[in-house]
Amino acid sequence: MKKLIFALGIIFISASVQQSYAQCDTEKHVEACIPKLQSGFTFLKSYNIDGQGGAKDKVEYSYVFTKGATYQVMICNEGSGTDGIILTLYDSNRNKVASTKYEGSTLSSIAFPCQVTGIYYITYTFEGSSNYCGGSVLGFKR
Amino acid sequence: MVSIKLKLKKISILKREFVLTKGISIFVMIKNIFMKNILLGLLIIITALACDSKKKPSADEISSVLDSVKIEEPSISEDVISDIIQQIPSPLEISTLLKESDTKYDKSYLNDPEKISDYNSNYKKALALGVYGTDLGYTNIYEQNQDALFYLNSIKSLADDLSIGQFFDIGTIKRLATNSKNLDSLLLITTKNFNNINNYLQEQKRSNLSILLLSGGWLEALYIVSRVSEKNPDNEQLKETIAEQKVIMDNVVLLMSFYKDNDPNIKQLSNKFTKLQEEFNKIEIKTVYREPTYEVVDGMLVVKDNSTSEIIMNDENIEAIRNQVYAIRENIIN
Repeated sequence: MKKLIFALGIIFISASVQQSYAQCDTEKHVEACIPKLQSGFTFLKSYNIDGQGGAKDKVEYSYVFTKGATYQVMICNEGSGTDGIILTLYDSNRNKVASTKYEGSTLSSIAFPCQVTGIYYITYTFEGSSNYCGGSVLGFKR
Repeated sequence: MVSIKLKLKKISILKREFVLTKGISIFVMIKNIFMKNILLGLLIIITALACDSKKKPSADEISSVLDSVKIEEPSISEDVISDIIQQIPSPLEISTLLKESDTKYDKSYLNDPEKISDYNSNYKKALALGVYGTDLGYTNIYEQNQDALFYLNSIKSLADDLSIGQFFDIGTIKRLATNSKNLDSLLLITTKNFNNINNYLQEQKRSNLSILLLSGGWLEALYIVSRVSEKNPDNEQLKETIAEQKVIMDNVVLLMSFYKDNDPNIKQLSNKFTKLQEEFNKIEIKTVYREPTYEVVDGMLVVKDNSTSEIIMNDENIEAIRNQVYAIRENIIN
C-alpha cells in the first residue's frame, strides 16, 4: 500500500512539474521584447529562456559579433522586471564581457559596441527567479 | 517481419516435402526455371540499358537522383548542430555596412530572381533560397521596394517547393514592401520568417537544408561585399570585413563536415568551401583582450569594449578569396 502511495505521489509530482514547463510561454515574452529594442537597432535573433521550472540553471546561446557593430541584448519578462534572470556576455575565450547584474542592481539590457569579431556567448542564469521563464532579443546597429 | 518468417517457414516445409516425396528432380527443375528467369530478367535489363546507352543522364537527372537519396542523420547531435547554426550572423549586417559606407545600390550584384526554374532539386533550392534571402535583405536595406517584390515572389515559390512556404505571409510582406516607411517592419518580418524556417528545419531533422540555406545566404553576402570591395579598392574597411569572415567560414565548413559523408551534394560543396577556407587560413587575426569598462545609460548597461584586434593580410589574400567566392557562387546559381 505504501509503495502504491509513493508511486502515485511520484506520478503526481512529475505531472505538476510537467505542467509548470508547459506554462513557460517564451514566445509571448519574445514578442513583447522586440518593440523594446532601442531606436536604431535592427532585430536579429530571438532567444527562448526556459529554465524548466528550475531544472536548468543555465540557458546559453552564441552568435558571431562583428567589429564596428553595436549589439543590444535585452531580457523580457512579465512587466518591466527580469524575474531574477541574469544575462552575462562572454567572448570567444570565455572572458566575461558584461553582466546585467551590475553594482547591486539587475538591469534588463546590455549595449555592446564590438571591437573584436568573434563568437560571443550569451548566457542566462537564474537568481531568485519564480518562473524561470522569459524571452530575449538581439539587435544591432552600425 | 512476421510474414517474412512465415514465408521462410513455408519454403522450408515445401523443401522438406519434396525430399520426403523423393521429388528432388522436380525441385531441381523448378530451381533451374527460377535461375533461368533471373538470367532472362538480367538480360532484358542489360538490353534495355544498352539500347539507351546513347542517352546520357543529364546533370539535373543525376542531381535529382542524388537528392532523392535519403540522407542519413549525422553522428553528431542535432543540438550541437543547432548551436553552431545559430552563431552564423545575419547577412543583413553586411548589407547595412555597405549602405553605411556610402556605397551605391547595384542590382547587378544580385542573382536574377527569374532563375528559379533552374533550381530543380532540394539541394539547389535550399542554396538558392539562402542566396535570394540575402538579395532581399540587400534590396530592403537600400529601400528598393520594387526589386524586393521580385525576390519575395521567388523566395515564396522556393519555400513552397521545400514545404516551408507556410512561414511567409506573402500578403503582409508585400503590403509592407510597397511603402518605404515600413522598412523596420519589413526587415523584422523577413528576419523572423527566416529564423522560423531555420528553427523548423532543425526541429524536423532537416538541418542539412538549414545548413545549405545559411551557406547560400552567407556566400551571397560575401560575394556582394567582394564585388563592392573590388570596385572600391581603397576601402580598407571592406577588405577587413572580407577577412573577418574567416570566423564564419570555419563554422560553415564544420557544419558541412557533419553531412558530407552522407550527402554527395554537400560533399561536393564542402570540397569547394574547404579550398576557400585554405585562402582564409592565410590571414591572421590577432586579438588583445583588455577589461571592458561600463556605464549605465537609461537603465541599460553600455559596455566600452577595450579589446583590440589586428588583421594581418595583403591584397593578394583578398583577391584570392574573391576569386574563389566568385567561382563557388557561379556554381551555386547556375
